Amino acid sequence: MMSIRRFASTFFLGAALTIIWPAGARAKTVTIDDSGSQALEPSVTMRWKSAAPSRSAAGNVMIGTTTIRVRINVTPWLHHSGHIYLALPVQKPGPIGLSWITQGRFLPGQVASGNRVLVYAGPIASPFMEDTLTFQFSVNGALMARPVPVTYHFEMDEG
Amino acid sequence: MPSPQAPTGTTPSGLRHSRDTLRRLTVGAALLAAAGSAAPYTATLTPAAPQEIYLQVGVGAFTNNYINGGQPQVNATVNTVSATLAVGVVGNGTAQAMTTNSTAAQSYWDGYTFCTVPAQLYIGGFFRTTGATTAAAQVTATVPANLTDTTGDSIPFSQISWTSGGNGDTTANGFLPEVFPGGKFVSGGVQTVGSMASNTWNESCWTFSYANTVVTAAGTYTGAVLYTMTAP
Repeated sequence: MMSIRRFASTFFLGAALTIIWPAGARAKTVTIDDSGSQALEPSVTMRWKSAAPSRSAAGNVMIGTTTIRVRINVTPWLHHSGHIYLALPVQKPGPIGLSWITQGRFLPGQVASGNRVLVYAGPIASPFMEDTLTFQFSVNGALMARPVPVTYHFEMDEG
Repeated sequence: MPSPQAPTGTTPSGLRHSRDTLRRLTVGAALLAAAGSAAPYTATLTPAAPQEIYLQVGVGAFTNNYINGGQPQVNATVNTVSATLAVGVVGNGTAQAMTTNSTAAQSYWDGYTFCTVPAQLYIGGFFRTTGATTAAAQVTATVPANLTDTTGDSIPFSQISWTSGGNGDTTANGFLPEVFPGGKFVSGGVQTVGSMASNTWNESCWTFSYANTVVTAAGTYTGAVLYTMTAP
């Protein structure tokens, strides 16, 4: 009886763990190596979105466009399925908007700093994924007193 | 004799440790290299010649209204503001309304009919600069001492004053407090007639008036006022 009870409790504990474990599992996010990417312009020239400002001093947005040949190394996930995101961290000089169009390998989209957006979901069939993305950055002109570096990256959700 | 090779009995083990260490170092280096190559991509955003300045007194030129993507243009037109006095009222102290030949009634911001012509003269503009709000741009008027006629008679420019307004000119309607307030010409001087905060559209409509307190000979008296905008 005792051994049966122990077996039963072990079984139910095991079953409980089996049920709980997947719910507790969390996807691990890994920054993808994009050192093979190339910018076609050395810097992003920012211009006023509109030549004239508004009456209320709102909407003083500067925009700049750049084209980048994106090449990311997805070898670690080869022959698996993956979700790839483009992430734009919170950073100086302040709120930044980023939108992009693609040649089709990745999804087009837009993101505000502090967020990320899905650009690919599916099987990883080759060690590298490539696409040409045209990015448009938008920043309040009041924050653009001087050239500012802005970073973004691609990341993979594992698990 | 002790075996000279005794100490070397540890050598293989030592070598193994060394290899393990080397392997770990190699792995560590590989991980560091991988971490380094996964650094975020950096794009440098560079403001390019972002400073712009625009002043319009009377008619101006835009390719289209601003809210439709219009771009400011150059317009060299010099408008006039004038009054014609009947003989019987010259110098009687009754102010005479002046009118303009400017046809600029609509704001280039949105096409809104802001000024009433020919009673009012449009004045507006803006200056663009990056970074935090700077000191305001100043608009000054360089005023001759007198209006003169062909025979040398004159009328002091200080006889002319103006009030400021505009159709629906309220903050609630999206207009700023009056940035080009009413005033009076200072004969032979340079005076400030308004200021513009950076990155804002500013506009007013001026209604001119001739004081009519001097008696002069009949004639056509003219003078030109030069408006200058100076941005920091």
